[in-house]
Amino acid sequence: VFKYVLKMFSNLFSLQCEQIIQHLNHKIPGVNTVELCQRLRMAGIEISVGDLAKITNIVSFLFSTAARNNLSTEDLITTLGSAVSTLPKHAIQVIRHVWNEQGKSVSVSEDTGNMATVGQFVDIKWKLGVAMSSDTCRSLKYPYVTVTLKVADPSGQITNKSFEMTIPQFKNFFRQFKEMAAVLETV
Amino acid sequence: MAAAEQQPPPPEGCKPLGALLGGIAQAAYYGNADITEELLRGQLYPEAAPEEFRALRAKMGGLLQSIASADMDLNQLEAFLTAQTKKQGGITSDQAAVIAKFWKNHRAKIHESLVNQSRWDNILKNMNWRVDLKSQSRHVDQINTPVAIVEMELGKNGQESEFLCLEFDEAKVSQMLKKLSEIEESMTVLTQTT
Repeated sequence: VFKYVLKMFSNLFSLQCEQIIQHLNHKIPGVNTVELCQRLRMAGIEISVGDLAKITNIVSFLFSTAARNNLSTEDLITTLGSAVSTLPKHAIQVIRHVWNEQGKSVSVSEDTGNMATVGQFVDIKWKLGVAMSSDTCRSLKYPYVTVTLKVADPSGQITNKSFEMTIPQFKNFFRQFKEMAAVLETV
Repeated sequence: MAAAEQQPPPPEGCKPLGALLGGIAQAAYYGNADITEELLRGQLYPEAAPEEFRALRAKMGGLLQSIASADMDLNQLEAFLTAQTKKQGGITSDQAAVIAKFWKNHRAKIHESLVNQSRWDNILKNMNWRVDLKSQSRHVDQINTPVAIVEMELGKNGQESEFLCLEFDEAKVSQMLKKLSEIEESMTVLTQTT
């Protein structure tokens, strides 16, 4: 059983590292932290989404620093060792392997300052409801739409942002996107 | 209530009632904490004794609350006010006329205020956007592609906002438009059936 868990850990950590590299190369909007967390849990490895996100940040920073400084795999491992003393052996092996295979392909971004505050839209989920009644008003009867935007922030974490709109607000929201599409087409 | 329009103008004593209702609405629905009972009494009913005024204010406030809570339409309002004029210790028909006129003028605004009081989740406070030409040289296919940069101000009523800044390329805008169309369709069905 232990060997199985170890193998699952190596595989999933390897997947995480690959996603991090793909994100650094702007091939994917972000690392699917929630999904990775679920898969780790199913393999019997207990870890919170928050902790996994921290690991993503650390490894992402590690890879991008290594790319910028053109580090060889050995230098990378040495740097890692001096920064994180309690990394399990298998994690180091995964990092070594991933960097060997894909280290050279990690591009160094020039305009990180500009990109720092802009996230990427990934998906939208919605729900339409009618508020019927409340403690201050028995006859509210107002329809509203709740929207959840799946967003990848610049560091690659995918988060959900929810908010509510009344019908007039929604109509305005829709109109703005139609205008955007029209402008994008003509540019 | 239609008859009220043809009656002679309400006696002098009813003018302050209209203003009193306005003051009650300011405090209860428009969030104006400066309109105190003392202020209202001094401005509108200076000759009234404090306890007498307090009772009047409470009675009018209670009536307005019932009307606002049920978001009464004209029929419901007429039935309600008529019943109040027939009650022991109720209102006069002149007062009923003033209340009716007040509600007709303020219904929409008071209802909107009540709706806002029950929006406790994040709302979209504002939205801005612009289109940029992306000029990254990393991937050849990305040079000179137009992208929309959208800034959304999100937050809860009365709390600090979070600014969400997102990038959309043409494909993503299409994806968004498709989903928004779905919402619009559902909304049409909803408003047709209510």
